[in-house]
Order: sequence, then structure tokens, then C-alpha cells
Amino acid sequence: MIRKTVIAAFALAAMAGSAYAASAWTGGDDLPTNPLACDGTPSAAVAKPYDGGEPTNAPDRKGKKITVVDIPKLIGIGYFNATSKGIADAAAELGNVDAKTDGPTQANIDQQISFIDNYITSGVDGILFAANDPVAIAPVLKKALSKGINVVGYDANSQPDARQWFVNQAEFNGIAKSLVDNMAKEIGEDGSFAIVTSTFTTPNQARWIAEMAAYAAKCHPNMKWLETVEAQEDNVLSFNQATTLINKYGDELKGLFGMTSVATPASAEAVTQAGKCGQIAVVGLATPNAMKPYVEKDCVKSVVLWNPVDLGYAALQVLRAVADGDLKAGATSVKAGKLGELQVINGSEILLGAPYTFTKENIGQFDF
Amino acid sequence: MSQSLRNLLFRHETILGLLLILALIMLAFQSDRFFTTENLLNQGRLMAEVGLVALAMTFVIVTGGIDLSVGSILGLVAILLGVFWQNIGLPLPLAMMLGIAAGALAGFVNGLIITRFGVPPLIATLATLALYRGLAEGISQARSVRGYPEWFFVLGQGEFFGVPVQLWIFGLCAVLAAIILGLSTFGRETYAIGSNAVASRFSGLRVDRALLLIYTASGLIAGLAAVIFVSRVSTTRSDMGTGLELDVITAVVLGGTSIFGGRGTIIGTLLGLVLMQALKNGLALAGVKGDGTIVVIGAVLILTILISNMFRRDADG
Repeated sequence: MIRKTVIAAFALAAMAGSAYAASAWTGGDDLPTNPLACDGTPSAAVAKPYDGGEPTNAPDRKGKKITVVDIPKLIGIGYFNATSKGIADAAAELGNVDAKTDGPTQANIDQQISFIDNYITSGVDGILFAANDPVAIAPVLKKALSKGINVVGYDANSQPDARQWFVNQAEFNGIAKSLVDNMAKEIGEDGSFAIVTSTFTTPNQARWIAEMAAYAAKCHPNMKWLETVEAQEDNVLSFNQATTLINKYGDELKGLFGMTSVATPASAEAVTQAGKCGQIAVVGLATPNAMKPYVEKDCVKSVVLWNPVDLGYAALQVLRAVADGDLKAGATSVKAGKLGELQVINGSEILLGAPYTFTKENIGQFDF
Repeated sequence: MSQSLRNLLFRHETILGLLLILALIMLAFQSDRFFTTENLLNQGRLMAEVGLVALAMTFVIVTGGIDLSVGSILGLVAILLGVFWQNIGLPLPLAMMLGIAAGALAGFVNGLIITRFGVPPLIATLATLALYRGLAEGISQARSVRGYPEWFFVLGQGEFFGVPVQLWIFGLCAVLAAIILGLSTFGRETYAIGSNAVASRFSGLRVDRALLLIYTASGLIAGLAAVIFVSRVSTTRSDMGTGLELDVITAVVLGGTSIFGGRGTIIGTLLGLVLMQALKNGLALAGVKGDGTIVVIGAVLILTILISNMFRRDADG
């Protein structure tokens, strides 16, 4: 008990110490950062009580065949086709789940609610969702819980008490580590780089940049940050900004980070057109399809994102575990088939694992 | 067969009514969860917003016009409701009233553009469709307003005598609209404008005033639908109501209102609305996926209009 208290006090002190320290790099936010260990050992999870919901009077589903419907933000796009494939793979492997994917053809919260509502009426045992809006989807999910349906989210969360568990594809510090490690590998420990982001205040990008600055300071202290530029999420502007950076810093610039799925391909295009392939590395967040041409020409070596097939696979595995009663409030990990043990974080979230790096070897297998 | 019976039998509404009964029976056999009170009331809840807007849209289309901006007005009012309440700090009832008034104003602007500048309704409301949505997005800055008080959710999530609250509102508005369009002088005026606007003008009808009123009402009711919508989903977003106009127009046209104006009834619109909602819900319960449902609704729309036209030609000849 005393040990626990001491650890908790220490964790709090550490958090307070880093709180409100403005990010070392422009474009980062002022929130406390939590850089991962350099060698990737998972940090001790800060214990947080389970904050998910519970279905009312759910029947005993242990080992029984269950029907599950997956309702993503929208259907018919590569990304959610990939999660849907992961769900189908998991269903085939488990053998006792009847899973299908259905949803609106536009990322529209009204339609998504109607879809979920209809499937509640039709009497499914489990619902998987990727929310178009975390609050708007909550009432209909709570209704599902009240009918004894198991509810698990993935990709985009809802309010915690409206679902049981959420499969989190990547934490900010995990993405940051993956980006910085890849950059260090490509340009060396003393290389200089610049960042192309959306705007300095976009929440996700600002969070990533702050975490990257903290992680680089901890694990790659000699790398040199030059500048962060804003490029909205605009293709032409991103290209122009990247070109400006290339001209401004000349040979000093060894690497470019693309912080959005628009900035990364645009930066790669700028490097290609400047004839600097191989001299300036581009590392960033992007979808494989947009990056295939650059990766195949060896202009870009690493594209960081998560694997959506694994995300869907994990979501259904988690749902099965919940339905079987194997995953209960307070658990610290869950078995997810071929993905092994996945860690529970933030009370009621399950972390998919380290982000996925797309390279020349594997990018051809993905279509989204 | 007497002429009046023949007319009654071959009316679009009668054909649609029969089709609806047929669809309900078929859907009930497809899934035992379809024809339950709980499901039907729940569907009523989901269709109330589209239904409300469809009532006003029936008037608009009967005059030979169209209002494409209703979905955007819904989005704009939803955002304004949030802004008035949270950012400006007005009491919520006042914010609701102001929001609905803003909807009416948006509709009034549509009416002004159409009557004063003689812009065809299709073009005018296509422009305001973009304009109002842009305003909504600009004002909201992609932030949503949440955390409404508990009493506010009664409107969209509560029940009154076991029936969803918004269904009462919708029912009341439907009766009112049916009386105005079917029995009042204003209703006759609406039909006259749709049949021949020029002749109506020369007959001394105040065409512009009527059109202004109708487009304003369309905006007002879209505002009311917005408030119900926000209450139902407990948050505001600038993309709310995107594509709503298409659902609304489909219901109205399916209900037998002529897109060229001069013909149409509230009963028809209600039948069209219920048929559409029953198909969406029933097919989903029967295991048909979302994309398949859209195809069926499109097919039913064409089929209904074909059958109706066939009998009409018979009746005319």
C-alpha cells in the first residue's frame, strides 16, 4: 500500500514537473508530455479505474455463437475496407462469430445513428463502431448497452461510459517515437530537419509535435530541429512550403516530417521535383496509397501509421473476449489472437501496439 | 363504376397507400422485429425531422419551386443554438427561440432572392445551400457544442403518453399543414400559383407575398427540426443535416406532389415519408445492407411515379 502511494506520488510529481512547459519546437502544444523509453519498453501504465459502461442484463454468451455488426464512420473507402477485412479475418479465425459490416456511404452522424438504432432493434449480440462524433453517438450506444448488447469502439472513440471498451490504434507518444526513430535512422543522429504541419493549433498535430520534441530531447539529443511551417491541409500549400524549406536551408536540411496525410505526399513531391531524392529524407504520417509512388522510387523509406487490418482484427477479438466474460473491468491486458496480449490503458482503452511503419517491402499489401 | 369512385381509386395517394400496406406486410414477414410498437414508435422518432421539413417542402413544391437549402439551414440553426447558449450565454429557451427565428430569416432571404430578383428557386436555394453551410462551418470553427442540460433532451429523446415527444409535434404540424393546404384560401392560392403563376398574378393574387411566406415557413420549420435534432443527438455539429434536402424531396415527390407545381397533398407526403422510412428500417432489419436499401428506394420512387402516370393518362383519356 505504502509502495503504491509512493509510486503514485512520484508519478504525479513527474507529471507536474513537465506540465505547462512550452514545447521546444514551434507547433507543439503546452500539455505535459510523456515520452516513451528509447528502447521501446512499455512504460508502466498509470492505473486509472475502469470508466467504460456495462450492458444491462446481458445474457451469458460464453462460447456461444454471437452476431456482431460493425458500423464504421462510412463504408466504401479503403481505410474502412481494411478494418472490415480485419474483422472478417478475426471472425473466420474465431469460428463462433457471425460478423458483418454495414454503414452510411458518407461520414454522417445522423445516418450512423439510424444504422445503429436499426441493428439494436434487429437484436444483434455485439456492436463495433468508429464514431463520427463522440457525443452525438453516445445516446444510441447507451441504448444498445441498456438492451444487453456488448459495445466496443475502434478508430474513433465515443464518450467512455457509452461503450465498454475502445481499441486505441496509437497513442501520441507512440507515433512520436516511431516518427523520430525512423528519421534518426535515415539522416543520422546529428541530422537537421524541418516539419510541415497543418496549423500550430490543430490538436492532434500539436500533440504529436510536442511529444516528438520531448522524445527527441530524451533519445536523440543531437538531432537539430530547424523550423516548423504551417500548410493547412492543403496540397498546393504543403508543396510550396516544403519547396521553400528546401531552398532556404540548402544542404543543411536532411529531413522533412509530414504531420498530415496531405503534407507527407506533398513534401515527397517537393523533394522529388527538387531532384533531392536520397539527400532529403521524408518521414511522415500518411496513407499507403498516397505514398506508393514515392516509396517505390526509393524517395521515401518510411511512412508511419497503424495497420487498419490489425485494428479491425483486434476490435472483434476484444468484443469476443468481453462477450465471453474474459475481459472485465480492472483487467490490465487482453488476449487478441495472433496479436498476442494487448495492454489496457486509460481505464477502458486497449492499445493496439506500436504504430506500423510502411516500407518498400510491405506497402504493396495495403490498399487504402 | 361511377366517376367519383374511379377518381378516388386511381388517385396517386390511393395507389401509394396500397403500396405502403403491401410493403408493410412484406417487411413484417421478413423480420419479426419490424411490426412491434416499440420499433414503429422509434422509427417515428427518427423520421420526425425529415417529416417536419417535408411538410413545408410540400407547399414549396406545389408552388412549382424547390428549397435545396433546408439541410444547410438545419445545420446553421443547430450551430447558432449552441453559440447563443454557450458562447453568448443566453438562457437555453431564448437561444432555441432565436435559433428558430434565424431559420425563418434564412428562409425569408431565400424568398427575397426568388421574388425580388426573379432568380429561379433551384438556383437561389442552391446558392444558399452553400452559403448557409459555409456560415455554419465558419461560425462553429469545427468545434461542437455539448453539455446541454437534462431537460432539453426531453424534446428529442423523451416520451409523452408513451409516444416520442417530437412525434406529437410532428403530428400537430401535419394536421395544421393539411388544413392550410387542403381547406384554406391560402392553400387554394398555393395551388393556383403552382398551376400558373402569371395567371394568378393577373387574377389579383399576391403571388410574391405568398411565396415569401412559404419560403420563410420552410426556413422556420427547418429551424424547429434543428432544435429537435440537437436534442436527439445531444450535440451540435456544423455538418448536421447534410443531404437532408434529398430525403425530404424524395418523400414529397414519392407522395405525388408534382415537381412542376399545382398538384400535391399533405396526406401524400405523409404516405411517401412513411413508405420511405418503413423501407429503410424494414430492409435493414431483414438483413439488407445500407447500399442495397438506397437502390430499393430509388426503384420504388420510379415505379410509383410510373404507375401513377399510367393511371392518370387513363383517367384523362
